[in-house]
Amino acid sequence: MKHEEYVYELSELKDYAPKIFGIPTGTKLDEMFYTVTYDEKKDRYVKKPLGGIPHLAVLNVTGIPDTGKSLLAEQFAVYQAARNYPVLFVTVESPANFLYTALKQKAQVLGLDFTTVEKNMIIIDASQDVELRENMNALLDTMAYAIKKKNTKNVVIDSITGLYEHREVLARQIVRQMFNFLKKWNQTALLVSQKRSSQSSETAEAAGGLAVAHIVDGTIVMDKEVITSKWAASMYGRKIGEVIRTIRIDGCRLVPHASETYVFDITDTGLIDIKEPLSKIARGGD
Amino acid sequence: MEVIGKPVKEGNIDTIAERIFHESIRILGGLKNLVEYRNLTWLPSLAEAAYVIALKNEAIKTNREIAEYLGITEQTVKNILSADETKVMERLKGESEKKEHIAGGLAKLAYRAIREKRDNLEERMEIMEESAKSLGIDWAVHVLSNIKGLDFPIENKEVLVERLRGYRIKGKDIEDILSSLEYPISNPAELLHKIREKL
Repeated sequence: MKHEEYVYELSELKDYAPKIFGIPTGTKLDEMFYTVTYDEKKDRYVKKPLGGIPHLAVLNVTGIPDTGKSLLAEQFAVYQAARNYPVLFVTVESPANFLYTALKQKAQVLGLDFTTVEKNMIIIDASQDVELRENMNALLDTMAYAIKKKNTKNVVIDSITGLYEHREVLARQIVRQMFNFLKKWNQTALLVSQKRSSQSSETAEAAGGLAVAHIVDGTIVMDKEVITSKWAASMYGRKIGEVIRTIRIDGCRLVPHASETYVFDITDTGLIDIKEPLSKIARGGD
Repeated sequence: MEVIGKPVKEGNIDTIAERIFHESIRILGGLKNLVEYRNLTWLPSLAEAAYVIALKNEAIKTNREIAEYLGITEQTVKNILSADETKVMERLKGESEKKEHIAGGLAKLAYRAIREKRDNLEERMEIMEESAKSLGIDWAVHVLSNIKGLDFPIENKEVLVERLRGYRIKGKDIEDILSSLEYPISNPAELLHKIREKL
């Protein structure tokens, strides 16, 4: 490859620029990404919900344990597969048979046809195979095979951290390779990413450092706080011992997005139910 | 819901390499042109370059992995990958004397044509295969695809006979050709070279 091949006149890129639209997740997250269009009649720019995560975006979903990262990723996968958009699910944590049960439950609760979900989902079980977890070329070859076989449009990796958990020094390299691969294959992707105990729970930082957040198109941060003081109970309108869960988009280079932190619940049936901005329920902030 | 639990090797690398090989010949003006200009000796190098380009772009292999896979040096892989397509065409047209890895440049041009779907593959594949067979020069790609995965050096003909049994090159039985080669053979490139000498 000659370097000149990577130099473009801006006009040459016109036909290659991806169209911006939303890929629904089946959660209120779809309304947290925006598109801004010019309204000629009103002579002003109008902000509209994108209706999903941006098409072809590779997003990191990070958070401390038990914040609902996997649930969100599974909900997205099931929702897309049920809409006949094939999904490649790379499971690095949970063995495929356990994942099957979780996906089936999700489909039932969401009222989606699981036969359609089954037809449109292909799974790579890296949780049981060392080579798939540790040999990036083997994993990418296998993913390429699965993407071509099912003509997938979406990829979920749960978790990307599992590919470098004992060699975090390689995190940048692995995430960069994966990011380039997903871009090459025109996939919209969610990469689930764990946090380390030293990392602040509310930041985009994840195992492998901030580099991971810098490489991908954007980060969704999921967090939780156990109410342990009267002050917190009063502020959030919750009882002591309850948990308040929050979700926010920490940067997205493809489209504008809500900058507020939203409160969400994990329902008894394991669904992510995003409610309203934290600012609306928290008292005494100002 | 299909579950893949083991790594899947890219099975279509052979197919892509063959497409690159055929498209390169088309760029050169077809087999007839090659025969007329007595450039048939390029074909083994072209087969090699086709595999390098396919492995680099489709299987996302590193230079070292490609070198090990094909039994060539890393420097050869680098030369193929860094060949300048434009310069190669200039050299082929006699407009330039600059030394360039011709097979590498051709394979890259061919790969680009394939990616941009300019190769009209379906229509031409049949004609090309027939022509290649009738001229007896499609053997290099055939041999390379069939020996894939063999451990080199190869000490005797048996392992090769097993992979290539029944194949004939220019009317000669492959078993006879393999019997007449000197062993050990240290890599696929040497094997192609030795077979060519016996034709």
